[in-house]
Order: sequence, then structure tokens, then C-alpha cells
Amino acid sequence: MKKTEHSPFSVLWREVVKDKLALSSLLLLSLILFIVYGASIVLDQEEIVKVDLLSIYAPPSAEHWLGTDYGGRDILGQLIIGTKNSFTIGLAITLLTGLIGLTVGLIAGYFGGVIDNVIMRIIDFILILPFLMLVIVFVAIVPKYNVFTFILIMSAFLWTGKARLIRAKTLAERELDYVSASKTLGTPDWKIIVREILPNLSSIIIVNLTLNLAGNIGIESGLSYLGFGLPESTPSLGTLVSYATNPDVLQNKWWVWLPASLLILVMMLCINFIGQALKRAADARQRLG
Amino acid sequence: MTFLQVNHLKVYYPVRGGFFRTVIGHVKAVDQISFELQKGETYGLVGESGCGKTTTGRTIIGLVKATAGEILFDGKDLTKLSRREFAQHRKDIQMIFQDPYSSLNPRKRVLDIVAEPLRNFDKLSPQEEKRKVQHFIEKVGLHPESIYKYPHEFSGGQRQRIGIARALTLNPKLIIADEPVSALDVSVQAQVLNFMKDIQKEFQLTYLFISHDLGIIRHMCDRIGIMYRGQFVEEGTKEEIFQNPQHIYTKRLLSSIPNADPLKRQEQQKLRQQIEKEYEQSYSRYFDVEGRAYPLKRISKTHSVAIP
Repeated sequence: MKKTEHSPFSVLWREVVKDKLALSSLLLLSLILFIVYGASIVLDQEEIVKVDLLSIYAPPSAEHWLGTDYGGRDILGQLIIGTKNSFTIGLAITLLTGLIGLTVGLIAGYFGGVIDNVIMRIIDFILILPFLMLVIVFVAIVPKYNVFTFILIMSAFLWTGKARLIRAKTLAERELDYVSASKTLGTPDWKIIVREILPNLSSIIIVNLTLNLAGNIGIESGLSYLGFGLPESTPSLGTLVSYATNPDVLQNKWWVWLPASLLILVMMLCINFIGQALKRAADARQRLG
Repeated sequence: MTFLQVNHLKVYYPVRGGFFRTVIGHVKAVDQISFELQKGETYGLVGESGCGKTTTGRTIIGLVKATAGEILFDGKDLTKLSRREFAQHRKDIQMIFQDPYSSLNPRKRVLDIVAEPLRNFDKLSPQEEKRKVQHFIEKVGLHPESIYKYPHEFSGGQRQRIGIARALTLNPKLIIADEPVSALDVSVQAQVLNFMKDIQKEFQLTYLFISHDLGIIRHMCDRIGIMYRGQFVEEGTKEEIFQNPQHIYTKRLLSSIPNADPLKRQEQQKLRQQIEKEYEQSYSRYFDVEGRAYPLKRISKTHSVAIP
């Protein structure tokens, strides 16, 4: 039908399908996620992180397809659980920062004036804080450090960029006459924000969230690599890569860190390619299809 | 009976500057204007771009806050009302916007666009709501099936009629038409204007018609106010303004209407040059030292001019 053709989601979808690279990225990413989330239901995390002294640094074999680490733990199992953890964390951070950023950005942009000024100064303040150092401090002082607190700490710093983007777009959008029209028709402010402005920002939001997802997975891996991410008991892609800080592992035991590194590379590239296609779709001048 | 009365309305925007961003001056978008609308008439606000005519309209409907002055509507001062109290009057005053491309939300169907005011004020069942929307969509000459379409599927003229249908749904008494046809094709302009005249009779509407196009103003309006730099320079009936302009700015504005007859082009040009000369010579008689117009002075029952 003609109507559905122009909905923002169908435009995004069409652009992804038109771009072969994005389409294959989407398929590959879905396949990876399907395997990872499917297998992690079957696998038992406790079993995988259990130390087995008899098979330390075992190279890939029939029993351990990707060998074991210094505790004799199966790398493949850790890889699957780790990918699940990393992706879930990345996704949760993206959604949480998206939600906060969207709310703050829409309010600042729509109301403007003093509200906007106060919010923007707070955002400026958060932006100039040394992010890495504070995360390290938080990791040290938080007593129960797990996936959940990690997500909260990260989200507390990463929402600012999104809030700024959404604010800028809202500022442009609220000057359009349809917003004035809604005001003259007696529509309350919150309804104008949610029902009128938000749908017009949807494509930008989707694009930004997708591109951010890749970055957030990277941030988790990076922090875990530095030793300030997740503890070893909760494997993630970052903990696997961080084993490579040992020169012996880096040089001789490639099976410990290489699969995780490759998986990070592949996932981030896939998400980025999809994000680029969506970005083109959001800007009519760059569209392919 | 006076329907809407605007008294000494001022809309000033502060200009900030200096190190502490203190207020160093004001942009006087609307400066001390007063006029009144009678029920059922069409009042035209004319002036060059930036003279404050749109700001006046937007202040009356509450999109812009008045700095000072009063807007009396049904005996109530709209500038003093709180947001909640103002909402009651929203039903009676509606606006038609200039740009039909940006005044309709591209993400909403026509049904949702036109039903928006109904959903805010009347609690109707979906069937009733749909029937009412279809009724108004038919009134503005569109097919009732088109309520399921999106704005981009319509032409500019059709979009403007959707905007008009939206303004009509609450049965308003006053419609502020802010250059309703300036974004439209000339062939469509007449269509929309005549349609606006028809519905004026049918719904007994009062129009505040804002435009820079004198031809359209002549076609539509009963009384006209000429604005210049946020002030009125002349006010009167259509005949008085067009046949017997008194203020030099009005004369200058009227002489700028192009003549369609190519044979009279020379004549028109001569007239324009003559008025331009007169304007330069007598500028100081019509404007004070700051270049502002004088207060309006009544020269007949309906005709006022800003002369010292």
C-alpha cells in the first residue's frame, strides 16, 4: 500500500536492503546474536568459569574447540557467554542513555530559556569531567560490582552526547509551524513533545542509537581490558582480550585472545555498516534506494 | 458591538550586549498599536516584511507574550489570563498558518491532524470524531476518503485547506489568517481566498487577515490597517485606503502595486517616481526624529492617519 511506503521505518528498512554490505552485516550480526543467545541458554556460566587445573592453556582440541585459558576454562564457552554479556551491556547502556538523553534533550530543546540553560550547563559540567578516571574511582568504591552497576555507571556519563543531539534537533523542530499549530489548538506541552516532535525525530534517534551501540560495546571491552570493567567471574569480550596483557599469551597462545578480538571487530563493523545505511536513509539526499 | 479590541499593544524583544549581557535596548516588534474588530468583518493588516503584523497575530492567539497593553476578547483581557483560563478561549480563536508545508505534521494522517483540537476539547467516540472530521474535510472540498492519507500526498492548496479544516473544527468565532495564501500558486490563491469568503458567510467568522499582498487585501478585507515598523500609520475602510490614502507610506505602498497593463507601465513608473520624490521630501513631516510614526489622528469616522 502507498501509505506504508513512506513510514520512517519502511524507508530505513528499504535502505538497508538496498545496501548489500549493510544487508549482509545485518544477517551476519543476527546469526552471531542468534547463536550466542541460543547457546547461552544451554551453557552454564558457573560450569564454564570453574577452574580446571588439569587443562591449563590447552590448545584447541576436540574437547575444547578453542582451547582453554590459564585457569583451564573453556574459551569457546567464555566467548559465547562473554559476547552475550558484552552485547547485553552495550545494548542496555545504549537504551538507558537513549532514554535519559531523549527526555533531557526534548525538555531542554522544547522549553528553551532558563530550563535549557540550566540543563546545558549541567551537561557541560559532566562533559568536562575526566570520564575514565571517574569510572575507575567508582569501580573501586562500589561494593557490589556486577553487570548492573557497570551499566549504571557507564550510563551516568554517556547520556550527555545524546541529550545534546536531541536538543539541537528539537530546537529546529519546535520552530516549525505544526508545533505552533498544536499550541493554538490547545494541545498540552507534554503531548506536543511526545506525539508531535518525537515521531519526527525517530529516524535520527534510531541512527544515533545504532552507531552508539557499536561504540558502547567497544567501551565495555576497553574498560575490561584495562582491568576496570567486569571481573573474571563474569566473562566478557573485554576480559578475554585482557588475557593478552600477558606476553606469553599474546605471543604463543593465540586461541585465548584472537577469537574475542575478531568477534569484537566483526560485530562493531557489522553494526557500523548497518548504522551507516540507516544514516543515509535518514538524509534524503544520500539515499541509494 | 466590538468583538475584539486591542489597546496599546506592545511586544518588545530585549537586545542584550556588553560583558554581562545586560539589556542595552529593545526591538520594538509591535509598538503601541490599537485597533478593533467588529463581528463578521474581515480586517486586514498590511505592511512590509518585518513590520510586526505576524507578531500582532501571534500575540492575539497567545503564541507570543505581550510586553504591555491589552487584548479584550468578549470583555476579557487575554494578556492577563493564565494558561488554563486561556485554554477556554482557544476554542474561539483559531489560526491559519502561512506555510502549508510546515504547519501540518508530516508524520500524522489527515484524520489525526484535523481531529487534534477535537481530542483536546470534546470527548467524542471514534465514530463521531471520524464523522465530524469527514464533514469538515468535505466542507473544504476534499474527498472524505482522504482522511487516511498523509500530508505529503496533497498539493499545496489542498494542504492549506486541511489547515483551514483544522481551524474550523472547534467552530471558532475569530480566525487569524497569517498570510494564508502567500506560499501558494497564484491559480490556487483565488480558489483558497474565495473558499475562505464562502465559509465566512456560512460560519459567521471574523477574520484578522494578515498579508503583504495589497491585491489580496483589496479582495478580502472590509477595513485595513497599514503597519510600518511596529506601528499603525493609517487605518480605514477599504475604499478610504485605496481611493484616498493620506499617509505618505500608504501612498508609497499603493504605488508599488504593479500594473498588469504593459501600455500603462510608463505611467505607473512615473507615478512611482513622483511618490518616491514626495516621500523623500516630506519624510520629516510624517515621521519624527527617530523615524517613528506619530500617533493616529482621526480624520473621519472610520479613517485615521498618523500625522502630527
